[in-house]
Amino acid sequence: MKTKIGYFLLMLVGVLACSEDFTETPAVGALSDQALQNAVGVDLLLTGAYSVLDGASNNGSGWTTSGDNWWFDAMSDDAHKGSTDGDQADLYLLEILDWTSGNPYLLGKWKALYAGENRANAVISLIGTIEEGDFSVQLAEARFLRGHYNFELQKIFGNVAYISDENYANVEFNQPNPGPIWDQIEADFEFAMSNLPSSQGTDVGRPNSWTAQAFLGKVHLFQSDWGQALSLLTGVINSGTYALLPEFVDNFRLAGDNSIESVFAIQFTADGGQSFNGNQGGTLNFGGPNGWCCGFYQPTQDLANAFQTSSGLPLLDTYNQTDVANDYGVTSSEAFSAHTGPLDPRIDYTLGRRTIQYNGWGEMIGKDWIRAGFADISGPYLPKKNVYYVGEDANMGTGGWGQQHSGINYHIMRYSDVLLMAAEAAVETGDMNTALDYVNQVRSRAKNMSYVQNLAETGDAANYQIELYSSFGSQDNARKAVRFERRIELGMEGHRLFDIRRWNNGTTTMNDYIDNESRTNPNIATKFIYDYEAKHNMCPIPLTAIDLSGGVLQQNPGY
Amino acid sequence: MLYFIVQNISLNKNKHCLTFIYLILTLKFNLINMKTKLFKNLLLCCAIFLFAYTQAQTVSGNVSDADGPLIGTNVVVKGTNNGVTTDFDGNYTINNVASDAILTISYLGYLTQDINVEGRSTIDIIMVEDTSELQEVVVTGYITQTRGDITGSVSSVNMDEAVKVPVINVAEALQGRVTGVSVVINSQPGAAPKITIRGFGTSNNTNPLYIIDGVQTLDANILNSINPSDIEQMNVLKDAAAAIYGARASNGVIIITTKSGGYNMDKAKISVDFYTGTSKATNLPGLLNAQQHGDMIFQSLLNDGAVVTHPQYGSGATPVIPSQLIGVREDASVLPNGTYWPDAITRNAPTSNLSISMQNGTETGKYYMSVNYLTREGILNYTGFKRATTMLNSEFKVLDNKLQIGEHLNVSYSNTRAGNGGAFENSIRSSPLIPVYDDNGNFAGTYSNSAGLGNARNPASQLFRSRNNFNKSLRVFGDVYLKANITDDLTFKTTLAGSVQSFDTRAFNALDPEHGEPISTNTLTETDLLNYEWTWSNTLNYKKSFGEHALNVLVGIEAVEESGRGKGISRNGYLFETPNFYLLSNGSATPNIAYAYQYTNTLWSVFGTANYNYNRKYFATATLRRDQSSRFKGDNQSDIFPSFSVGWLLSKEDFYPDDALINRIKLKASYGELGNQTLPGENLTENVSALNEGLANYSFNGTSISTGAILASVGNPDLVWETSISTNFGIDLTAFDNKLNLGLEFFKIETKNLITPDNSLISTTAIDAAAPLVNLGDVENKGFELSLGFHDKTSSGWSYGIDLNLSSYKNEVTALISDYQIGYTGFRGGAVTRTEVGRPISSFYGRVVEGFDANGRFLYKDINGDSITNDEDRTYIGSPHPDFTYGINLTAAYKSFDTSIFFTGSQGNDIYNYEKIYTDFPTFFNGNRSTRVLNSWTPSNTNAALPALSQTITNNETSPNTYFVEDGSYLRLKNLQIGYTFSDDISNKIGMDSFRIYLQGTNLFTMTDYEGIDPEIISNDNLTLGVDNQIYPISQIYTFGVNLKF
Repeated sequence: MKTKIGYFLLMLVGVLACSEDFTETPAVGALSDQALQNAVGVDLLLTGAYSVLDGASNNGSGWTTSGDNWWFDAMSDDAHKGSTDGDQADLYLLEILDWTSGNPYLLGKWKALYAGENRANAVISLIGTIEEGDFSVQLAEARFLRGHYNFELQKIFGNVAYISDENYANVEFNQPNPGPIWDQIEADFEFAMSNLPSSQGTDVGRPNSWTAQAFLGKVHLFQSDWGQALSLLTGVINSGTYALLPEFVDNFRLAGDNSIESVFAIQFTADGGQSFNGNQGGTLNFGGPNGWCCGFYQPTQDLANAFQTSSGLPLLDTYNQTDVANDYGVTSSEAFSAHTGPLDPRIDYTLGRRTIQYNGWGEMIGKDWIRAGFADISGPYLPKKNVYYVGEDANMGTGGWGQQHSGINYHIMRYSDVLLMAAEAAVETGDMNTALDYVNQVRSRAKNMSYVQNLAETGDAANYQIELYSSFGSQDNARKAVRFERRIELGMEGHRLFDIRRWNNGTTTMNDYIDNESRTNPNIATKFIYDYEAKHNMCPIPLTAIDLSGGVLQQNPGY
Repeated sequence: MLYFIVQNISLNKNKHCLTFIYLILTLKFNLINMKTKLFKNLLLCCAIFLFAYTQAQTVSGNVSDADGPLIGTNVVVKGTNNGVTTDFDGNYTINNVASDAILTISYLGYLTQDINVEGRSTIDIIMVEDTSELQEVVVTGYITQTRGDITGSVSSVNMDEAVKVPVINVAEALQGRVTGVSVVINSQPGAAPKITIRGFGTSNNTNPLYIIDGVQTLDANILNSINPSDIEQMNVLKDAAAAIYGARASNGVIIITTKSGGYNMDKAKISVDFYTGTSKATNLPGLLNAQQHGDMIFQSLLNDGAVVTHPQYGSGATPVIPSQLIGVREDASVLPNGTYWPDAITRNAPTSNLSISMQNGTETGKYYMSVNYLTREGILNYTGFKRATTMLNSEFKVLDNKLQIGEHLNVSYSNTRAGNGGAFENSIRSSPLIPVYDDNGNFAGTYSNSAGLGNARNPASQLFRSRNNFNKSLRVFGDVYLKANITDDLTFKTTLAGSVQSFDTRAFNALDPEHGEPISTNTLTETDLLNYEWTWSNTLNYKKSFGEHALNVLVGIEAVEESGRGKGISRNGYLFETPNFYLLSNGSATPNIAYAYQYTNTLWSVFGTANYNYNRKYFATATLRRDQSSRFKGDNQSDIFPSFSVGWLLSKEDFYPDDALINRIKLKASYGELGNQTLPGENLTENVSALNEGLANYSFNGTSISTGAILASVGNPDLVWETSISTNFGIDLTAFDNKLNLGLEFFKIETKNLITPDNSLISTTAIDAAAPLVNLGDVENKGFELSLGFHDKTSSGWSYGIDLNLSSYKNEVTALISDYQIGYTGFRGGAVTRTEVGRPISSFYGRVVEGFDANGRFLYKDINGDSITNDEDRTYIGSPHPDFTYGINLTAAYKSFDTSIFFTGSQGNDIYNYEKIYTDFPTFFNGNRSTRVLNSWTPSNTNAALPALSQTITNNETSPNTYFVEDGSYLRLKNLQIGYTFSDDISNKIGMDSFRIYLQGTNLFTMTDYEGIDPEIISNDNLTLGVDNQIYPISQIYTFGVNLKF
């Protein structure tokens, strides 16, 4: 009997003795903070900070978070959201200027950008905990990325919370949004400019010091610091690091990926699997041939009209007095006569219109390639810059269900943008000659590039006429010309809404646009039930963000 | 206590004091370490009253029951403290028994017998089982108690009644049958119901701890692996009684004991239970027919001032229903009234169940074994659940009965065909114009987005195409145990329990060419999961009765380990859509490893409990458990959980009249501290970064891809487990000669350090990592539970019974780390619920609709009085917490007929009918809507339910507001059964002991004002309660069954 009890006690003691180890279990497959405190760890987290440039994060991916800002064009006069009105009704509401704090697009974008900001903070914070080694380049890259994410937030929402790397380290993400954060954005780009090398070698997707300088110039441009903007951007131009490609269209084709014109791009890559590094945010923006889904991101009539020329120059004030021939309401089986008036040749690299070759897939046949109906807001055009060219299979990625995950890089900034920003700063500082030079460099490339050919490949597809400006005349005229050049050079590249806002002419531009657009699509007048007002210069802070902050975040005025 | 003992002794002073002294001396000898002042005093008392002497003798004998000897039976000389217990062979010897004494023989679960000694020296006694409820032996953790002795709050399910309902998962049987236990049934076959005990505390893991024989698990799905008819007993520990399970007990404990054979049975008992029947969908929603749908579309366009034209309905003054879909590539004929889609995907689904069990036992061995096969086809086409289980329980006595060795083994295999989760919702919003099939017999669809046919995928095709998907689960669980009777009073038990579960699932996502957004590649996804759990428990149990005192002390140690491993792999590009081709190797794209994981967590514990009662009149229990968990860091790893409870059987007092109408009154009270250490994940105390192919990799040169990592979850090293302080007061009454039973309990549970992911810490301005779990605050649940039963038999042969139970709780958040917390943020329009100090957890929060403006848009109440309507005008607009929930069971039998009727219900809770976003508003304009939109605002119908029809949602009308809040009260006739038992003559003739047939119907009707499909809502999480966003139709089941016994 006693031995039995003895055995039991022995067992009890035995179990007691091993209990301390018993309740220590390993985290399998997980990296602890400590495991990352080395060069490999810095690179892993830094790569993660780049990875969210496309918007795909743990907080969600897809079109609401898209890194290429395509749907901000649908909130401007460049594009309709596309497809039928009820398809992605939340984006429809953004397009018709019915902006509410509950809109999931705004929340998606907001969260994606803060994910980016804090992935950059993770790198900055980690580098601060490593004693050995030189990580100044990685630190500069991380601060460049943080600057970019903050700049995007600033452009979209106006009053945003700044989360520092100290905030990150202390898990203090709930910061107020009392006003713009330009100073913090500038500080990051300045640091990046001084600490990045002038070239990153074959890692063309990483920013170099010139990239940072160009972004810093843009930040000053957005604050109307014309002198600083001009000097920084001119520095980039004069560095000789960048140049315009001979072919405008190469910026949107395989051949032009990471070309000399690319200042900073989201490196989209298709692969044989589910193409996680393809453009998931732009997955809806395919229409036309091959049964692609889903017919979004349709250019406006207003944008088409902007490509009209007279004596090779754009119709700065009168481009909406005539319309480029429009097949709204015309079925594919009905006859349609294409526009015969003079056009800037960039039109047919920017938007797909009936009778014209569509990126090598053949003739754009009108309605049958348009997903929207005639009662919808979206009109008759298709996008081109984000759409594959025939034969460029390396750019064609598929997602889990076979949706398009394009490998076409999105240029956050390309060299012609730098030239036009510099031109704009030059105009505002009264230096018309520099402005003229930069604008004409851009126009000269457009003039000398190959034009889209007719279907028989026997000549130009349309009546293309483009010439250089001989002079701008007044400063006011120069301003108009530069701004107009931005639109036709950079149309459908996600810049337009932010340009209109910083020029502070959103109300005029957008309200004129709604009137003009209604001419070819009468539905539009009834559907835009709101005007563009001052409040639209900033998007509403997402309600979920405010609620989760416990009221620390304040709503923008007017919402 | 001493006072009562002394008083008791003084009453018996005349006869038995010598015996008493002997007993005391014996006790002193046996319990040498328990020498206390009490015994000294008792000795003194006895000495004083020593003045009488009667002839004494020794009596011996054997105690047995129908199955054989009974070990540990108490044999006491009545009115004295002279007593012994029977040994392993049921033998006893008791000295100093007066020749005219009376022996009282008692044993848990048996009728107590008084036997006149009448000078005999050998008395053998056969004990008879006490079938009264109070004497029922209840498993309350590591020990057993008779129901009448329990001082904690322990509810038991009447399994005989419960399994009358054709349940798949035995947890369903708890619904409405046990006070304080809320069960929400998930209508999908094979899905586990949601169980909540006594209100809502944590928003983390809310599952109670399940103890199935020796197996311990928090996995509610384990009950899917058990055949309900193998269950002998199901008990729910709701208060401090659960404290023996310490760090896992704060959500309550459900103890399931499976059946076993009996020793010394004269023959094997076989029972066969079979039912077969059919289930059908009920309460399907009212949807617009084609004409109404066309009218709705036209009116919307008209209201918006848009051009009134539609690809299908034309451009005329009124919509014209086309005979064929217009502008689509296939010929597809439109039904005259359109398609009512829910009918196209539901069916009358057969169901059947066969259980066969056999039990037997010899002098030294017994067994129970069963096999079960259940098939429940789903009411949605091509869905269903199949399960086969077998159970073997056996026990053997060896070494002269000093050792008992036994095992429980349950093996189950199931396959759930879940169909397509979106199919039912698509059936509600598919355009009525689309036929199920086109004129060539292929599935019809929306074809093209510009065809005006909406964007819902054809739900019939979705179900058809997922017909070859499976979710197979193989689960083996059980235990082996050894029980050693070290002395008559001291037992050692070691139990090694384990559970191994493997999941094997296949999902094929087929092409859907008829859809307007056809998927362009098909995908095969396979997942494999393996989970292991083991528990090793060692206990020492000391049980001793000495006279009127009974002591039951248990100490134990226990180790628990759970581990698992799993992965999911998908691959695109299958050439053939036939199951024979569904191998990962047959895809054409690069395979994608969607996830892979491995985890281990452990718990190590020491515990003890002591139960004492005096004369089964005064009861006291004390329990202490120390747990150490791998889920926490440093000092936070371990904690101690104490509990105490007392009971007083008032009606046993001498002053209580024997002939009182209320023949039994028991008062009880308990206090205990309980924990909740279960967390949704591992290693939550530290930051975890991870490689992530989809979200962290990047290409720096536009071609090759570099590996990246991201912070995946934020840790909280300060995390401590939740503790609940539970207090309980109860009264049990029995009246009218035991015909009426009443139990009333009042409870308060204060849950501290509620564990919840802090989404305000990792908010929208933070890293894209999972939020850390934090100790969010404190919650209090107060309430009462009433159970009332009346059972009687009339002289004319009727027997009938009414059982009613009612549970009520009030929930209040008493502390929070922030001003408020919001619930799930993924809803369209943002979070619907908010939690704030001073209010119940998870209240609905939004705008208040006051009526309509001149244009027929919602008018919102100006809450903050600033004359501007915006997000500042939100307020609390409803509570998901019921005033009470209840169940009513009526039974009646007359001669060969028996019937039972069972109702269950909930009163006073609100439901946020989130589904109305799709059915009542133009979230998908061309899709179908509820018939509720027929009552939309028009200039001539200003007293409408819904705002003016429009193509788009404007004015924030689908953001959280009072339109979506509805009264969720309901009363449901859960089950009705009528049975007929053939007379013994007939059943014996065909070789049976008993032969019964029955008809039964389930979910026969529901009385409710709730406009959704089903007022039983499965909630996302405890900060998002009562939001109806995952609809599935209710099944009505009719079955015919037989019960045979051989």
